[in-house]
Amino acid sequence: MHSMMINTDMTTAHEKLTQELRRGVLVLATLSQLDQAKYGYALIDELSKRGLEIDQGTLYPLLRRLEEQGLLESEWNVEGSRPRRYYQISSMGEQLLQVLKVDWQELVGIMEGLLKDKE
Amino acid sequence: MELIDRYVYEVGRHLPRKNRADIKAELHSTLVDTLEARLEGEPSQQDVVDLLKEYGSPQKVAASYWPEGQYLIGPSLFPLFKMVLGIALSVFVIVQLVLLGVAVVFDQEVLTFLSILDIIGQTFGSLFTAFGVIVIVFAVLQYFEVKPDTEEEEWDPSQLPEIEQVETISRPGRVAEITFSLIFIAILLFLPDYIGFVVSPGMEVILNPVIISYIPLIILSLLISIGLDVILLWRGRWETGTRLAKIGTNLFGIYVLYVLITGHNAWLAEQGASGFFSFLETLPELATPNAASVAIIGMHAFRLAFIIALIVTVVDTVKLVYQLLKSFFIPPVTIPVSIEKGE
Repeated sequence: MHSMMINTDMTTAHEKLTQELRRGVLVLATLSQLDQAKYGYALIDELSKRGLEIDQGTLYPLLRRLEEQGLLESEWNVEGSRPRRYYQISSMGEQLLQVLKVDWQELVGIMEGLLKDKE
Repeated sequence: MELIDRYVYEVGRHLPRKNRADIKAELHSTLVDTLEARLEGEPSQQDVVDLLKEYGSPQKVAASYWPEGQYLIGPSLFPLFKMVLGIALSVFVIVQLVLLGVAVVFDQEVLTFLSILDIIGQTFGSLFTAFGVIVIVFAVLQYFEVKPDTEEEEWDPSQLPEIEQVETISRPGRVAEITFSLIFIAILLFLPDYIGFVVSPGMEVILNPVIISYIPLIILSLLISIGLDVILLWRGRWETGTRLAKIGTNLFGIYVLYVLITGHNAWLAEQGASGFFSFLETLPELATPNAASVAIIGMHAFRLAFIIALIVTVVDTVKLVYQLLKSFFIPPVTIPVSIEKGE
Protein backbone atom coordinates (compact mmCIF):
# COMPACT_ATOMS: atom_id res chain seq x y z
CA MET A 1 0.00 0.00 0.00
CA HIS A 2 2.84 2.38 0.66
CA SER A 3 5.02 3.26 -2.25
CA MET A 4 8.76 3.70 -1.81
CA MET A 5 9.56 6.94 -0.07
CA ILE A 6 12.19 9.05 -1.73
CA ASN A 7 13.36 11.00 1.28
CA THR A 8 12.43 11.77 4.87
CA ASP A 9 10.57 14.97 3.99
CA MET A 10 8.15 12.95 1.97
CA THR A 11 7.83 10.42 4.76
CA THR A 12 7.03 13.06 7.31
CA ALA A 13 4.54 14.72 5.03
CA HIS A 14 2.95 11.38 4.26
CA GLU A 15 2.69 10.51 7.93
CA LYS A 16 1.15 13.82 8.79
CA LEU A 17 -1.42 13.73 6.05
CA THR A 18 -2.37 10.10 6.61
CA GLN A 19 -2.86 10.98 10.24
CA GLU A 20 -5.23 13.73 9.22
CA LEU A 21 -7.17 11.38 7.02
CA ARG A 22 -7.49 8.93 9.87
CA ARG A 23 -8.48 11.66 12.27
CA GLY A 24 -11.36 12.43 10.00
CA VAL A 25 -12.87 8.95 10.28
CA LEU A 26 -12.14 8.48 13.95
CA VAL A 27 -15.52 9.52 15.28
CA LEU A 28 -17.38 7.27 12.88
CA ALA A 29 -15.08 4.33 13.59
CA THR A 30 -15.45 4.76 17.33
CA LEU A 31 -19.20 5.09 17.33
CA SER A 32 -19.56 2.08 15.10
CA GLN A 33 -17.72 -0.20 17.51
CA LEU A 34 -19.38 0.85 20.74
CA ASP A 35 -22.72 -0.86 20.28
CA GLN A 36 -21.46 -3.02 23.15
CA ALA A 37 -19.87 -1.49 26.23
CA LYS A 38 -16.09 -1.50 26.06
CA TYR A 39 -13.26 0.10 27.93
CA GLY A 40 -10.69 2.31 26.21
CA TYR A 41 -7.84 -0.10 25.88
CA ALA A 42 -10.02 -2.86 24.53
CA LEU A 43 -11.38 -0.54 21.88
CA ILE A 44 -7.92 0.50 20.74
CA ASP A 45 -6.86 -3.09 20.62
CA GLU A 46 -9.85 -4.12 18.56
CA LEU A 47 -9.54 -1.28 16.08
CA SER A 48 -5.85 -2.01 15.74
CA LYS A 49 -6.52 -5.65 14.97
CA ARG A 50 -8.93 -4.54 12.29
CA GLY A 51 -6.39 -2.24 10.71
CA LEU A 52 -7.10 1.17 12.24
CA GLU A 53 -4.26 2.38 14.44
CA ILE A 54 -5.30 4.99 16.94
CA ASP A 55 -3.05 6.76 19.38
CA GLN A 56 -4.12 6.38 23.00
CA GLY A 57 -3.56 10.10 23.44
CA THR A 58 -6.12 10.73 20.71
CA LEU A 59 -8.81 8.22 21.60
CA TYR A 60 -9.35 8.93 25.28
CA PRO A 61 -9.97 12.66 24.97
CA LEU A 62 -12.22 11.85 22.02
CA LEU A 63 -14.29 9.43 24.07
CA ARG A 64 -14.77 12.08 26.71
CA ARG A 65 -15.78 14.69 24.17
CA LEU A 66 -18.29 12.33 22.57
CA GLU A 67 -19.70 11.60 26.00
CA GLU A 68 -20.00 15.29 26.76
CA GLN A 69 -21.88 15.69 23.52
CA GLY A 70 -24.28 12.98 24.62
CA LEU A 71 -23.30 10.44 21.98
CA LEU A 72 -21.78 8.01 24.46
CA GLU A 73 -22.58 6.86 27.94
CA SER A 74 -19.99 5.68 30.38
CA GLU A 75 -19.69 4.12 33.77
CA TRP A 76 -17.04 2.69 35.99
CA ASN A 77 -17.12 -1.05 36.24
CA VAL A 78 -15.46 -2.50 39.33
CA GLU A 79 -15.84 -6.18 38.49
CA GLY A 80 -12.82 -7.76 36.88
CA SER A 81 -9.20 -7.38 37.85
CA ARG A 82 -9.39 -3.61 38.27
CA PRO A 83 -11.87 -0.76 37.92
CA ARG A 84 -12.32 0.30 34.32
CA ARG A 85 -14.35 2.95 32.58
CA TYR A 86 -16.72 1.44 30.05
CA TYR A 87 -18.19 3.38 27.14
CA GLN A 88 -21.24 2.55 25.10
CA ILE A 89 -23.17 4.32 22.41
CA SER A 90 -26.27 6.20 23.59
CA SER A 91 -29.59 6.32 21.76
CA MET A 92 -28.79 9.77 20.39
CA GLY A 93 -25.45 8.35 19.32
CA GLU A 94 -27.23 5.55 17.52
CA GLN A 95 -29.32 7.98 15.53
CA LEU A 96 -26.30 10.06 14.64
CA LEU A 97 -24.37 6.97 13.63
CA GLN A 98 -26.99 6.06 11.04
CA VAL A 99 -26.88 9.56 9.60
CA LEU A 100 -23.08 9.56 9.56
CA LYS A 101 -23.02 6.23 7.77
CA VAL A 102 -25.03 7.73 4.95
CA ASP A 103 -22.79 10.79 4.87
CA TRP A 104 -19.80 8.51 4.69
CA GLN A 105 -21.16 6.54 1.72
CA GLU A 106 -21.79 9.79 -0.07
CA LEU A 107 -18.29 11.01 0.64
CA VAL A 108 -16.73 7.78 -0.56
CA GLY A 109 -18.66 8.04 -3.79
CA ILE A 110 -17.58 11.63 -4.31
CA MET A 111 -13.93 10.85 -3.63
CA GLU A 112 -13.95 7.91 -5.99
CA GLY A 113 -15.32 10.17 -8.65
CA LEU A 114 -12.71 12.85 -8.03
CA LEU A 115 -9.82 10.41 -8.03
CA LYS A 116 -11.04 8.43 -10.99
CA ASP A 117 -10.85 11.45 -13.25
CA LYS A 118 -7.18 11.85 -12.54
CA GLU A 119 -6.02 8.33 -13.07
CA MET B 1 4.18 0.72 39.44
CA GLU B 2 5.13 3.69 41.55
CA LEU B 3 6.45 5.23 38.37
CA ILE B 4 3.00 5.04 36.86
CA ASP B 5 1.55 6.74 39.92
CA ARG B 6 4.08 9.53 39.61
CA TYR B 7 3.30 9.89 35.91
CA VAL B 8 -0.45 10.03 36.45
CA TYR B 9 0.00 12.58 39.22
CA GLU B 10 2.11 14.76 36.96
CA VAL B 11 -0.41 14.59 34.15
CA GLY B 12 -3.10 15.49 36.63
CA ARG B 13 -1.29 18.67 37.60
CA HIS B 14 -1.77 20.00 34.06
CA LEU B 15 -5.31 18.82 33.53
CA PRO B 16 -8.35 21.03 33.60
CA ARG B 17 -9.98 20.94 36.98
CA LYS B 18 -13.15 19.39 35.73
CA ASN B 19 -13.00 15.58 35.59
CA ARG B 20 -9.41 15.59 36.74
CA ALA B 21 -9.74 12.70 39.18
CA ASP B 22 -11.73 10.67 36.74
CA ILE B 23 -9.26 11.15 33.92
CA LYS B 24 -6.40 10.22 36.18
CA ALA B 25 -8.13 7.05 37.26
CA GLU B 26 -8.82 6.10 33.68
CA LEU B 27 -5.27 6.85 32.65
CA HIS B 28 -3.87 4.71 35.43
CA SER B 29 -6.03 1.74 34.56
CA THR B 30 -5.19 2.07 30.87
CA LEU B 31 -1.46 2.10 31.47
CA VAL B 32 -1.67 -0.99 33.62
CA ASP B 33 -3.88 -2.69 31.03
CA THR B 34 -1.35 -1.92 28.31
CA LEU B 35 1.52 -3.33 30.30
CA GLU B 36 -0.40 -6.49 31.03
CA ALA B 37 -1.38 -6.99 27.43
CA ARG B 38 2.12 -6.56 26.13
CA LEU B 39 4.14 -8.54 28.62
CA GLU B 40 4.07 -11.75 30.54
CA GLY B 41 4.37 -11.48 34.28
CA GLU B 42 5.79 -8.56 36.19
CA PRO B 43 6.92 -5.62 34.06
CA SER B 44 10.41 -4.36 34.72
CA GLN B 45 11.25 -0.75 35.45
CA GLN B 46 12.54 -0.41 31.92
CA ASP B 47 9.27 -1.70 30.44
CA VAL B 48 7.38 0.94 32.36
CA VAL B 49 9.80 3.64 31.27
CA ASP B 50 9.45 2.58 27.65
CA LEU B 51 5.69 2.62 27.87
CA LEU B 52 5.56 6.04 29.45
CA LYS B 53 8.00 7.40 26.92
CA GLU B 54 5.78 6.07 24.19
CA TYR B 55 2.69 7.54 25.77
CA GLY B 56 4.17 11.03 25.84
CA SER B 57 5.26 13.73 28.21
CA PRO B 58 2.79 14.62 30.95
CA GLN B 59 2.22 18.11 29.57
CA LYS B 60 1.48 16.77 26.11
CA VAL B 61 -0.94 14.17 27.38
CA ALA B 62 -2.72 16.67 29.60
CA ALA B 63 -2.93 19.16 26.76
CA SER B 64 -5.05 16.82 24.68
CA TYR B 65 -7.78 17.03 27.33
CA TRP B 66 -8.11 20.81 27.14
CA PRO B 67 -11.22 21.68 25.14
CA GLU B 68 -10.01 24.67 23.13
CA GLY B 69 -6.34 23.83 23.34
CA GLN B 70 -4.06 25.60 25.80
CA TYR B 71 -4.05 29.33 25.31
CA LEU B 72 -3.53 32.22 27.66
CA ILE B 73 -5.86 34.18 25.42
CA GLY B 74 -7.49 31.91 22.84
CA PRO B 75 -8.33 32.50 19.18
CA SER B 76 -11.91 33.48 19.90
CA LEU B 77 -10.97 36.14 22.44
CA PHE B 78 -7.81 37.40 20.78
CA PRO B 79 -9.31 39.89 18.30
CA LEU B 80 -11.28 41.56 21.09
CA PHE B 81 -8.15 41.64 23.19
CA LYS B 82 -6.17 43.38 20.47
CA MET B 83 -8.86 45.97 20.04
CA VAL B 84 -9.17 46.73 23.74
CA LEU B 85 -5.41 46.88 24.09
CA GLY B 86 -4.99 49.29 21.20
CA ILE B 87 -7.66 51.65 22.46
CA ALA B 88 -6.53 51.54 26.06
CA LEU B 89 -2.86 52.13 25.34
CA SER B 90 -3.48 54.93 22.88
CA VAL B 91 -5.79 56.71 25.29
CA PHE B 92 -3.28 56.20 28.05
CA VAL B 93 -0.41 57.75 26.14
CA ILE B 94 -2.46 60.68 24.92
CA VAL B 95 -3.73 61.43 28.40
CA GLN B 96 -0.19 61.35 29.77
CA LEU B 97 0.99 63.80 27.11
CA VAL B 98 -1.92 66.11 27.80
CA LEU B 99 -1.19 66.08 31.52
CA LEU B 100 2.42 66.84 30.74
CA GLY B 101 1.37 69.78 28.62
CA VAL B 102 -0.92 71.11 31.33
CA ALA B 103 1.90 70.90 33.84
CA VAL B 104 4.14 72.92 31.55
CA VAL B 105 1.57 75.63 31.11
CA PHE B 106 0.76 76.06 34.76
CA ASP B 107 4.00 75.47 36.55
CA GLN B 108 7.05 75.81 34.41
CA GLU B 109 9.41 75.47 37.30
CA VAL B 110 8.20 71.93 37.92
CA LEU B 111 9.92 70.78 34.79
CA THR B 112 13.61 70.20 34.67
CA PHE B 113 15.31 67.74 32.34
CA LEU B 114 15.51 65.20 35.14
CA SER B 115 11.90 65.50 36.10
CA ILE B 116 10.86 65.05 32.47
CA LEU B 117 12.91 61.86 32.33
CA ASP B 118 11.24 60.83 35.53
CA ILE B 119 7.80 61.43 34.09
CA ILE B 120 8.67 59.47 30.94
CA GLY B 121 9.92 56.61 33.10
CA GLN B 122 6.74 56.63 35.12
CA THR B 123 4.67 56.64 31.97
CA PHE B 124 6.43 53.54 30.66
CA GLY B 125 6.01 51.85 34.01
CA SER B 126 2.31 52.60 34.06
CA LEU B 127 1.98 51.49 30.44
CA PHE B 128 3.38 48.08 31.35
CA THR B 129 1.04 47.88 34.29
CA ALA B 130 -1.96 48.72 32.13
CA PHE B 131 -0.87 46.09 29.60
CA GLY B 132 -0.50 43.50 32.34
CA VAL B 133 -3.91 44.24 33.81
CA ILE B 134 -5.61 43.88 30.43
CA VAL B 135 -3.78 40.59 29.77
CA ILE B 136 -4.82 39.23 33.15
CA VAL B 137 -8.45 40.21 32.64
CA PHE B 138 -8.53 38.41 29.31
CA ALA B 139 -6.67 35.39 30.64
CA VAL B 140 -9.33 35.05 33.30
CA LEU B 141 -12.06 35.37 30.69
CA GLN B 142 -10.31 32.64 28.69
CA TYR B 143 -10.06 30.38 31.73
CA PHE B 144 -13.77 30.58 32.31
CA GLU B 145 -14.33 30.08 28.59
CA VAL B 146 -16.28 33.28 28.17
CA LYS B 147 -17.10 33.54 24.50
CA PRO B 148 -17.33 37.00 23.02
CA ASP B 149 -20.58 37.80 21.31
CA THR B 150 -18.97 38.73 18.01
CA GLU B 151 -20.09 35.78 15.97
CA GLU B 152 -20.78 36.33 12.30
CA GLU B 153 -21.92 39.91 12.71
CA GLU B 154 -23.61 41.41 9.76
CA TRP B 155 -20.68 43.14 8.14
CA ASP B 156 -21.13 45.21 5.06
CA PRO B 157 -18.53 44.88 2.29
CA SER B 158 -19.35 48.33 0.98
CA GLN B 159 -18.19 49.73 4.33
CA LEU B 160 -14.65 48.47 3.86
CA PRO B 161 -12.16 51.33 4.34
CA GLU B 162 -10.26 52.73 1.41
CA ILE B 163 -6.69 51.60 0.93
CA GLU B 164 -4.31 54.10 2.43
CA GLN B 165 -1.25 55.24 0.58
CA VAL B 166 1.90 53.45 1.54
CA GLU B 167 3.34 55.77 4.11
CA THR B 168 6.24 57.25 2.21
CA ILE B 169 8.23 60.14 3.55
CA SER B 170 8.23 63.20 1.34
CA ARG B 171 11.74 63.63 0.03
CA PRO B 172 11.50 67.32 -0.88
CA GLY B 173 10.32 68.07 2.65
CA ARG B 174 13.32 66.37 4.15
CA VAL B 175 15.75 68.05 1.79
CA ALA B 176 14.27 71.45 2.59
CA GLU B 177 14.60 70.76 6.30
CA ILE B 178 18.21 69.73 5.95
CA THR B 179 18.96 72.87 3.95
CA PHE B 180 17.35 75.20 6.44
CA SER B 181 19.03 73.47 9.35
CA LEU B 182 22.41 73.87 7.69
CA ILE B 183 21.69 77.54 7.06
CA PHE B 184 20.78 78.08 10.71
CA ILE B 185 23.89 76.29 11.87
CA ALA B 186 25.96 78.47 9.59
CA ILE B 187 24.35 81.62 10.99
CA LEU B 188 24.87 80.49 14.54
CA LEU B 189 28.49 79.66 13.94
CA PHE B 190 29.65 82.41 11.64
CA LEU B 191 27.24 85.29 12.09
CA PRO B 192 26.46 85.44 15.80
CA ASP B 193 26.52 89.21 15.62
CA TYR B 194 23.38 89.20 13.50
CA ILE B 195 21.22 87.08 15.74
CA GLY B 196 18.82 89.61 17.04
CA PHE B 197 16.53 92.26 15.78
CA VAL B 198 16.52 95.64 14.15
CA VAL B 199 13.80 98.21 14.28
CA SER B 200 14.62 99.74 10.98
CA PRO B 201 17.24 99.01 8.37
CA GLY B 202 20.58 100.55 8.98
CA MET B 203 20.28 100.51 12.74
CA GLU B 204 22.58 98.48 14.83
CA VAL B 205 21.55 94.91 15.51
CA ILE B 206 20.44 94.36 19.06
CA LEU B 207 21.48 90.89 20.02
CA ASN B 208 19.29 88.18 21.53
CA PRO B 209 21.34 87.21 24.56
CA VAL B 210 19.42 84.05 25.31
CA ILE B 211 20.03 82.48 21.96
CA ILE B 212 23.67 83.47 22.10
CA SER B 213 24.17 81.69 25.36
CA TYR B 214 22.63 78.48 24.09
CA ILE B 215 24.31 78.29 20.73
CA PRO B 216 25.98 74.90 21.35
CA LEU B 217 22.70 73.32 22.44
CA ILE B 218 20.83 74.71 19.45
CA ILE B 219 23.52 73.53 17.07
CA LEU B 220 23.39 70.08 18.64
CA SER B 221 19.65 69.94 18.17
CA LEU B 222 19.95 71.03 14.53
CA LEU B 223 22.65 68.44 13.89
CA ILE B 224 20.48 65.71 15.36
CA SER B 225 17.59 66.77 13.19
CA ILE B 226 19.83 66.72 10.12
CA GLY B 227 20.99 63.26 11.08
CA LEU B 228 17.41 62.14 11.41
CA ASP B 229 16.47 63.63 8.05
CA VAL B 230 19.33 61.74 6.44
CA ILE B 231 18.05 58.53 7.99
CA LEU B 232 14.51 59.31 6.87
CA LEU B 233 15.70 60.01 3.34
CA TRP B 234 17.53 56.70 3.32
CA ARG B 235 14.64 54.64 4.70
CA GLY B 236 12.07 56.39 2.57
CA ARG B 237 9.02 55.29 4.52
CA TRP B 238 7.47 55.57 7.92
CA GLU B 239 7.94 52.43 9.97
CA THR B 240 8.32 51.69 13.61
CA GLY B 241 12.02 52.51 13.62
CA THR B 242 11.76 55.80 11.77
CA ARG B 243 8.74 56.87 13.80
CA LEU B 244 10.54 56.17 17.04
CA ALA B 245 13.59 58.07 15.83
CA LYS B 246 11.49 61.09 14.93
CA ILE B 247 9.70 60.93 18.26
CA GLY B 248 13.06 60.86 19.99
CA THR B 249 14.44 63.86 18.14
CA ASN B 250 11.17 65.69 18.66
CA LEU B 251 11.46 65.13 22.39
CA PHE B 252 14.96 66.50 22.37
CA GLY B 253 13.78 69.44 20.32
CA ILE B 254 10.99 70.03 22.82
CA TYR B 255 13.54 70.09 25.56
CA VAL B 256 15.72 72.62 23.73
CA LEU B 257 12.73 74.82 22.94
CA TYR B 258 11.67 74.64 26.54
CA VAL B 259 15.12 75.75 27.67
CA LEU B 260 15.04 78.67 25.24
CA ILE B 261 11.57 79.70 26.35
CA THR B 262 12.49 79.69 30.03
CA GLY B 263 15.63 81.62 29.15
CA HIS B 264 13.50 84.27 27.51
CA ASN B 265 11.14 84.25 30.47
CA ALA B 266 14.02 84.85 32.82
CA TRP B 267 15.43 87.68 30.73
CA LEU B 268 12.06 89.36 30.40
CA ALA B 269 11.40 88.98 34.11
CA GLU B 270 14.65 90.74 34.85
CA GLN B 271 13.55 93.61 32.67
CA GLY B 272 10.29 93.63 34.51
CA ALA B 273 8.38 92.98 31.31
CA SER B 274 7.43 89.33 31.29
CA GLY B 275 3.72 89.64 30.82
CA PHE B 276 2.29 89.17 27.37
CA PHE B 277 -0.08 92.09 27.85
CA SER B 278 2.61 94.47 28.96
CA PHE B 279 4.22 93.55 25.69
CA LEU B 280 1.15 94.72 23.87
CA GLU B 281 1.22 97.92 25.84
CA THR B 282 4.73 98.67 24.78
CA LEU B 283 3.96 98.27 21.10
CA PRO B 284 3.10 101.96 20.62
CA GLU B 285 6.58 102.77 21.77
CA LEU B 286 7.88 101.41 18.49
CA ALA B 287 7.13 104.86 17.15
CA THR B 288 9.97 106.31 19.18
CA PRO B 289 12.33 103.42 19.51
CA ASN B 290 15.01 103.16 22.08
CA ALA B 291 17.25 100.20 22.63
CA ALA B 292 15.53 98.94 25.74
CA SER B 293 12.00 98.84 24.44
CA VAL B 294 13.05 97.37 21.10
CA ALA B 295 14.92 94.67 22.95
CA ILE B 296 11.88 93.84 25.02
CA ILE B 297 9.59 93.69 22.03
CA GLY B 298 12.11 91.65 20.13
CA MET B 299 12.51 89.15 22.95
CA HIS B 300 8.75 88.79 23.23
CA ALA B 301 8.61 88.06 19.53
CA PHE B 302 11.31 85.43 19.76
CA ARG B 303 9.66 83.83 22.74
CA LEU B 304 6.33 83.70 20.96
CA ALA B 305 7.98 82.08 17.96
CA PHE B 306 9.58 79.45 20.17
CA ILE B 307 6.32 78.77 21.98
CA ILE B 308 4.57 78.21 18.67
CA ALA B 309 7.40 75.90 17.59
CA LEU B 310 7.03 74.01 20.86
CA ILE B 311 3.29 73.52 20.39
CA VAL B 312 3.78 72.38 16.79
CA THR B 313 6.45 69.88 17.84
CA VAL B 314 4.32 68.50 20.66
CA VAL B 315 1.36 68.03 18.33
CA ASP B 316 3.60 66.35 15.76
CA THR B 317 4.94 64.03 18.45
CA VAL B 318 1.45 63.09 19.62
CA LYS B 319 0.48 62.40 16.02
CA LEU B 320 3.54 60.17 15.56
CA VAL B 321 2.82 58.24 18.75
CA TYR B 322 -0.76 57.69 17.62
CA GLN B 323 0.37 56.48 14.19
CA LEU B 324 2.94 54.24 15.82
CA LEU B 325 0.41 52.57 18.08
CA LYS B 326 -2.08 52.32 15.26
CA SER B 327 0.49 50.58 13.07
CA PHE B 328 0.85 47.84 15.63
CA PHE B 329 -2.80 46.91 15.39
CA ILE B 330 -3.60 47.69 11.79
CA PRO B 331 -0.74 46.70 9.49
CA PRO B 332 -0.21 49.17 6.64
CA VAL B 333 -1.05 48.08 3.12
CA THR B 334 1.94 47.13 1.02
CA ILE B 335 1.49 47.63 -2.67
CA PRO B 336 3.40 45.00 -4.65
CA VAL B 337 6.26 46.51 -6.53
CA SER B 338 6.26 44.08 -9.40
CA ILE B 339 3.74 41.73 -10.87
CA GLU B 340 5.05 38.39 -11.99
CA LYS B 341 4.26 37.49 -15.52
CA GLY B 342 3.47 34.03 -16.79
CA GLU B 343 4.15 31.02 -14.64
